[in-house]
Amino acid sequence: MARLHVARYLLASALTGLWRNRTMTGGAIVTTAIMLITLAGFLAINDTLNQMVTALGRKSNLIAYVRDEARPTQVTAIIDDLRTRPGVGEVQFVSKEDALAIFESRFVDQRDILDVLQSNPLPASVELRLNNPAVVPELAQELQGMTTVFDDVVVPLDVVEEVIGISNLARVAGSVIIIALTGVTLFVIVNTIRIAVFARRQEIEIMKLVGATDWFVRGPFVAEGAIIGGIGAGIAAIALVVLYAQAAPVVTRIVSFLPVSTDTEFVRNLAVFTLLVGLIVGSLGSYFSVRRYLSV
Amino acid sequence: MIVLQSVTKSYGDVQAVNGVTLAISRGEFTFLMGTNGAGKTTLLRLISREEQPDTGVVLVGGGNTAELSGPGLTRLRRRMGVVYQDTRLMPNATVAENVALPLRVRGMGGSSVASGVTAVLERVGLADKQARFPRELSGGEQRKVAIARAVIANPEILLCDEPTESLSAERAAEIVDLLLDINADGVTTVVATHDTGTVNRLRRRVIHMDNGCVQSDTLVGSAAPPPPPNGPS
Repeated sequence: MARLHVARYLLASALTGLWRNRTMTGGAIVTTAIMLITLAGFLAINDTLNQMVTALGRKSNLIAYVRDEARPTQVTAIIDDLRTRPGVGEVQFVSKEDALAIFESRFVDQRDILDVLQSNPLPASVELRLNNPAVVPELAQELQGMTTVFDDVVVPLDVVEEVIGISNLARVAGSVIIIALTGVTLFVIVNTIRIAVFARRQEIEIMKLVGATDWFVRGPFVAEGAIIGGIGAGIAAIALVVLYAQAAPVVTRIVSFLPVSTDTEFVRNLAVFTLLVGLIVGSLGSYFSVRRYLSV
Repeated sequence: MIVLQSVTKSYGDVQAVNGVTLAISRGEFTFLMGTNGAGKTTLLRLISREEQPDTGVVLVGGGNTAELSGPGLTRLRRRMGVVYQDTRLMPNATVAENVALPLRVRGMGGSSVASGVTAVLERVGLADKQARFPRELSGGEQRKVAIARAVIANPEILLCDEPTESLSAERAAEIVDLLLDINADGVTTVVATHDTGTVNRLRRRVIHMDNGCVQSDTLVGSAAPPPPPNGPS
């Protein structure tokens, strides 16, 4: 019964404390919301950049031209093997006839060139679309070594190296910025709560002096911190969902090559993450802010 | 009930309490007299274990307060009621909420708290001001609220620091009468004051302090020292 009374009192105290210190409460909620919107916004931007880099990587192609005298069974075996390799997305065999048809469709005005020739001069080829540009150099070297099957291997190595460079830079820079921004967000939220607790340090001292246990003192403050963090994060999450829903189609339309996530799961996960951060930082921030005033 | 043995306490270069030895019996009413800076407040803070002595021992109910921490310290605080010089009322809580706090921290709730608050506020004459905030009360009324908070949980010991300071003679007399009334219930009461008028009006034990030392320990109006305490109980 006593525990029920205490639990009810702590919750009521938390809500009363929030209301009676509403200026401080409002400031803390707004600060939390702004910081979390900034963090979540950057996470969304970072995700888009990462997807862009991955998409660039996917566009890395490798074409191996097949010798006319190569045996089809040999080529088929190599294609089957390539399909099992990590980092290899799509493997397509383009026969001599297919190559000719493609040429004719692309260069309709220059069909005369083909009429001059007696036979089809275009080689068959194996075209690879790669998920991971990092595997390209090694794979190209391997195929170039199969001189009885392939005549030539064409690979835009400079582009590949650039994509790998951009990819690594984007990931490192993104991680550094996210870590720094997370640190700043936590610092600002925790300090906002510390200021709110500092303003009520006498209240903590009085509670201790009339015989309150540490948990009795902490309870309302931790609940208040969780409510402040939760409301701030809730505002940030709602703003994020609304802004993302509005901005994503516009950005996709204006900058069509940017692979902005339009699926709701991504935004939902981001909103849930924001809420959790708000709740955890709010309650832990209060827990540790109160601790320093408990040694009365 | 309360025993101090060769207690010293200093803040930097200031020697607030210097070798004080005294004993206060259960149920006794004692005045601590002295000018500002005499060491009265520090002595009360040592008894309530807000401070710890640099040297010497403070015993309350036979237990050394320096050895207390956590639950032991909480139990000690629950045996005492303290009226602070600055009242230390929670500014954002109503009179009823301030007074109810010692009951709340003991896990009480519901009608028992409400009836307890009403009873103690009736005793101090503020039953009609339960819903007021401290800032809406006069200085004397705030002191009474602080006294109500100190005694609501029926403490064994009541420590009061300058409870009549800045009050008119009439309001000061009201406060002292209230403290005597509480003491009559068997509560060991220690009142720090420099109000000689109040002290002279009563025939009670008076410990005079100066520069952190006990200068005299007498009954007002009597040259005889108070009877020796029976030791810690």
